[in-house]
Amino acid sequence: MNSLAITARLQAAPVGRSDPILIALWIALVSVAVIWIAPFVFIIFTALKSNAEVMTTSAFAPPTDAALENFTGAWERGNFSTTLVNSVIITVIKVPLGLLISAMAAYALARMRLRSGKLLLLFVLFGAMIPFQVMLAPLFTLVNAFGLIDTYVGIILPYLAFGVPYQVFILHGFFRTVPKELSEAALIDGASHITVFSRIFLPMSLPVLAALLILDFVATWNEFAMALVLLQDRHMWTLPLGLMSFQGQFSNDYGQLNAAIVMTVLPAVLVYLIFQRYFVSGLMSGAVKG
Amino acid sequence: MVLRSNSLHAYRTEALVLLAPAFAIYTVFAIWPMIEVVILSFQRWNGLSADRAWAGLQNYRHIFTADPVYWMAFRNTVLWTIMSVIFPPVVGLLLALGLNQKLFGRGSLRAIYYLPVIIAPIAVATMWRWMYDPFFGLFNQVLTNLGLQAWIADWLGDRSIALYSMFVAYTWQHVGFSMVLFLAGLQGVEYSLVEAARIDGANRWQVFRHVTLPALQVTITIVIVLSTISSLKAFDIIYGMTGGGPAQSTQMLALWAFTQSMQIFDFGRGSAISVTLLAITLAIVVPYLRWTQKREAASE
Repeated sequence: MNSLAITARLQAAPVGRSDPILIALWIALVSVAVIWIAPFVFIIFTALKSNAEVMTTSAFAPPTDAALENFTGAWERGNFSTTLVNSVIITVIKVPLGLLISAMAAYALARMRLRSGKLLLLFVLFGAMIPFQVMLAPLFTLVNAFGLIDTYVGIILPYLAFGVPYQVFILHGFFRTVPKELSEAALIDGASHITVFSRIFLPMSLPVLAALLILDFVATWNEFAMALVLLQDRHMWTLPLGLMSFQGQFSNDYGQLNAAIVMTVLPAVLVYLIFQRYFVSGLMSGAVKG
Repeated sequence: MVLRSNSLHAYRTEALVLLAPAFAIYTVFAIWPMIEVVILSFQRWNGLSADRAWAGLQNYRHIFTADPVYWMAFRNTVLWTIMSVIFPPVVGLLLALGLNQKLFGRGSLRAIYYLPVIIAPIAVATMWRWMYDPFFGLFNQVLTNLGLQAWIADWLGDRSIALYSMFVAYTWQHVGFSMVLFLAGLQGVEYSLVEAARIDGANRWQVFRHVTLPALQVTITIVIVLSTISSLKAFDIIYGMTGGGPAQSTQMLALWAFTQSMQIFDFGRGSAISVTLLAITLAIVVPYLRWTQKREAASE
């Protein structure tokens, strides 16, 4: 078949807009999306209702007048000023530091000729697959042996350890695709590998680092199980621990409980909405190309 | 290039400087606890005293023969894993196929479906607990409004349905993850192949069955393995929604191991439970890693 015939056929093929199947598909996708987003609407509505209103109005009735005192009440009783600060401190230290040490290791594994490089890579990859939920008890024992229970260092170190495998994996894949010529000229001129890493590779990998930064921010911000074991003192609690305790104590105060949920979730949602495109590209470069 | 011995030395130092921080922290805080959990599983220990006595296989004997909750947790973990490998990936694939078409507003639709993925699992648990509230929760209210009072249930309090209620929340959270992976995989399906099949008179189903699906094989494997691993990790959502109840009917291995060690202070039995879960995970992960290695070797 010659190309002219193909062009003619293609033009005869149904165009997207008028295709009834595509219209049906679009309606189906939008309907499911409405169901998907309904829980958020319900939570936000409840957060803005007084308890009496929760009990008398229907679930999707909008709040009559916004009960903002739910938020101030939940903020006070839920100890949000403490848990928010703890979450911010831990995330702000852990995420950039973790990316730096992962990038360093990934560079050495990808660009330096090391005899045991392949073995080291496999050793790290292994960790990406192992659930830390199996080792909560020995983690507690270990951190306790260092005397670091209820300290920032005591939670940041395990967070770093469990962040390394995935990040090394992604960055190693990226560094390996960089053409040799870029680094070889500098190396022959006598630059050290550390210089090449920090002056050439680090600036070049900013888009990948941005994607990993956001993914890791969300993971660290949301982490619960390790914090539950390693942070016992309520003054050291992070947001997820605070929310869990709030649920335990005030589960009958519906308005405030939902206000607490909204305040816990909001930072991650905002980061997601702002940096959406990095999320998807980060995940893609991670799981499929790797 | 001639390497003098001192420059070789410098090379090694540099490699060490670059590798040491990540590997030191990883080995101490991720690998060592994994070894320790195996050691602990052969000991009797309350987690605090100086006395750690060897117990041989006693802990394993106990969990396998004397602990009725263990088998309940085991059964639930297996059931949960099977459901997690089927439902979220299938829904994710369907959404991805739909959103791969040029549709109005598909960017926003993708964003909506992915949104639950970034929410803390513990917050998802709290949200859904409220939605399942038997009196004022969303589900029972909607059912009442629809005149379906007969369907009203105590979603998390009834032991015959609690596990499935929880799984619905889990599906809501995880579908977006599978969807994004499938969307990425679909980018790799050659458009010209789809066109060629269309021109040869294949209908939509035939195109899907014989062109798209084979091209997605690698993605499907990845999604299945990642879904399995994340389902074995299920902890936060159970802890937050039911705590394993009612009557241990939603108990699972990761949470039961935690309960034994950190709440009953029997580190030996808790670790033995962890080791069985670790063994299941390794049985899935090791073949997968070998498969990726082979695939990489083949593509080089």
